[in-house]
Amino acid sequence: MNTKFDLNDDSLVVIVGSGAGGGTLSEELGKKGIRCVVLEAGKRFTSEDIENDEWKMFGKITWLDKRVTAGPTALTKNFPNLPTWLVKGVGGSTMHWAGVALRFQEHEFKMRTTNGDIAGANVLDWPISLEELAPYYERAESKLGVTGTKASGLPYHKPSAHYKVIAEGAKRIGAHCHPAPLAINTKPRDGRAACQVTGFCMQGCRFGAKWSSMDAAIPKAEATGNIEVRPNSMVLRIEHNKEGKVTGVLYADKDGNQHFQKARIVAVAGNSIESPRLLLNSASSLFPDGLANSSGQVGKNYMTHTSTAVYGEMPGPVNMHKSTVVPGLVSEWADNDPTRGHVAGYELEILHIGLPFMSAFLKPGGWGREMANSLANFRNMAGFWICGEDMPMESNGVTLHPTEKDQNGLPIPVVYKGNHDNDTAMIKHSNVKSTALLEAVGATKVNIMGRYPASHNMGTNRMSAKAQDGVVNKWGQTHDVKNLFVSDGSQFTTSGAENPTLTIAALAIRQAEYIAQEMNAKNI
Amino acid sequence: MKRVSLGDDADNKTTDEQQDVQLSRRKFLSSAGAAVVSVSLLGGGILASADAWAKGALDKHASSTLLLMARDLFPNDDLEDIHYAKIILPMGEKATEDSSLKKQLNDGASELDKRSMKHFGKKYIEVKKEKDRVVVLEEIESTEFFGTLRNAVMMGIYNNEELWPRFGYGGSSWEKGGYLHRGFDEIDWLKG
Repeated sequence: MNTKFDLNDDSLVVIVGSGAGGGTLSEELGKKGIRCVVLEAGKRFTSEDIENDEWKMFGKITWLDKRVTAGPTALTKNFPNLPTWLVKGVGGSTMHWAGVALRFQEHEFKMRTTNGDIAGANVLDWPISLEELAPYYERAESKLGVTGTKASGLPYHKPSAHYKVIAEGAKRIGAHCHPAPLAINTKPRDGRAACQVTGFCMQGCRFGAKWSSMDAAIPKAEATGNIEVRPNSMVLRIEHNKEGKVTGVLYADKDGNQHFQKARIVAVAGNSIESPRLLLNSASSLFPDGLANSSGQVGKNYMTHTSTAVYGEMPGPVNMHKSTVVPGLVSEWADNDPTRGHVAGYELEILHIGLPFMSAFLKPGGWGREMANSLANFRNMAGFWICGEDMPMESNGVTLHPTEKDQNGLPIPVVYKGNHDNDTAMIKHSNVKSTALLEAVGATKVNIMGRYPASHNMGTNRMSAKAQDGVVNKWGQTHDVKNLFVSDGSQFTTSGAENPTLTIAALAIRQAEYIAQEMNAKNI
Repeated sequence: MKRVSLGDDADNKTTDEQQDVQLSRRKFLSSAGAAVVSVSLLGGGILASADAWAKGALDKHASSTLLLMARDLFPNDDLEDIHYAKIILPMGEKATEDSSLKKQLNDGASELDKRSMKHFGKKYIEVKKEKDRVVVLEEIESTEFFGTLRNAVMMGIYNNEELWPRFGYGGSSWEKGGYLHRGFDEIDWLKG
């Protein structure tokens, strides 16, 4: 933590953001002896800051800078200024994840080839395959300590009551439930404790049993002596020279004072809203539509996941809160089988929220006896959050607000999201299957919840083989600017049916190798 | 569980749960800073009304109206009035220093009466059936006043640590070592 670099040091890699992408990249580069400054907009939290209280932690760690939710869905009305549910702090949104660590499936890297042209969608194959990414997935599984993988050697978590209910329901409808591969230690490993099942994975783990950039990547990066993390440092703009190479970043510290940090390379990892926003806000006479935006794709093709949630009221107590948040998955419909009436697939992820969040999300804006009766049945609830592949659409994306500015005088982001017909068909299918599963094990009532603010945000600086189709190449290097990289989930060409963190980490490990190689070769 | 009367006789009851209620009540009263509080029952035993509320920006009638509305928003027949009262009382106190809130709450309560009169020929708290009062509430669902009450009651009931055990929710668990050794896998009704 004592490493300090000079603002005028132009030999550094400047990494914007410290989450799954930025944190992992800094750890990998630091271990290779490459010196980096990590600029993090949020503050640094410690384990003592982590409470088991949904609203308190929401208020404490959530990115609450003003954003505008737009689009024709209920999200716009229900959460007008909270399109996403992300974290502002060292470690980024890895504080707010349940640890589900899935690899993408082979076909998910080539959705265009698999399904052909889909009207109204902007589908593209990734420029990399599962085969190319597999070794990095393995390293990510080892690094994150993913249960049930060879790479970690950790066994799965034991089945909780919530898991047992869903597993039985799955069996009764001819489907299969399996333990979720979680980046949550089942044994002490890698300097972190074993899971005690607090039931609060999504607010930061008090025991550090869950892998997070805050608890693992950043401390390891700092331990190399090559990394300086500057919290409370909001990057406003990336500057470039006449040759179109980036030269550093302008950022504001906690008092609003602005500084310019020089850089040899800049890697943007601020999540799928802030990363494209930063590129758009860095427009110049040389890059009038925004930095690295010759394709016009910066900020476009914004994907979340289909992400509805379904909770059944069971015949007896389940006490779902006494469980890891995601104890298991039903992956029966995660494949690409168009006979279901939609392409791409979805995971039914067993997931609990606590009573405070259940009251807010069961029926946003709702009230009355029926809702109160369901909430009074909290102890009997069991259910899912649904993680389904979202279609990329050019009309979904991040733009700059024409008039409204943030505390630093920069236009706030407008986040537009509508559903493609395929998303709607998939949501319908997944709701029918979840309902059947829950009813098979005795649910007397099934509550289908709408989409809530997205924690999985992808696609707004997507990878493409050709420069005209996307923002970055297969290494996350921007097509337009050789020493500018994107290192977060905004690189995703398509969303897959999997939680993005493991793929973000695998891509960051791979990107670090490439950056080191290109620096050695003096190409950047 | 039956609703506990907040009348003076409540102090003579002895079950643990009722003692909890009494403790809560004392806490409630002391936080209200009221030396003398008379608690009466209105509307067929549904409402508790405290003179202490006159110290706030709401008169007794407006307080009673909002209290009933609070219960109608998230009705839990097992929960004592005091838990709803503990949501409305601080709003009335806050409104003494917030003139726009004062106006919103008083106007809102009047509006409920006005609409109840139109539909049923009586004031909101005199409308006996919940489903009739719901007709009135539905009409004002999109107002700011309704939103203020709804959010306050939602948070006051479901984000209330004191009430979590009543709903079977455990709240903070890390200081108890989580659930690894406290029943994370227990279920008694599931037949495989």
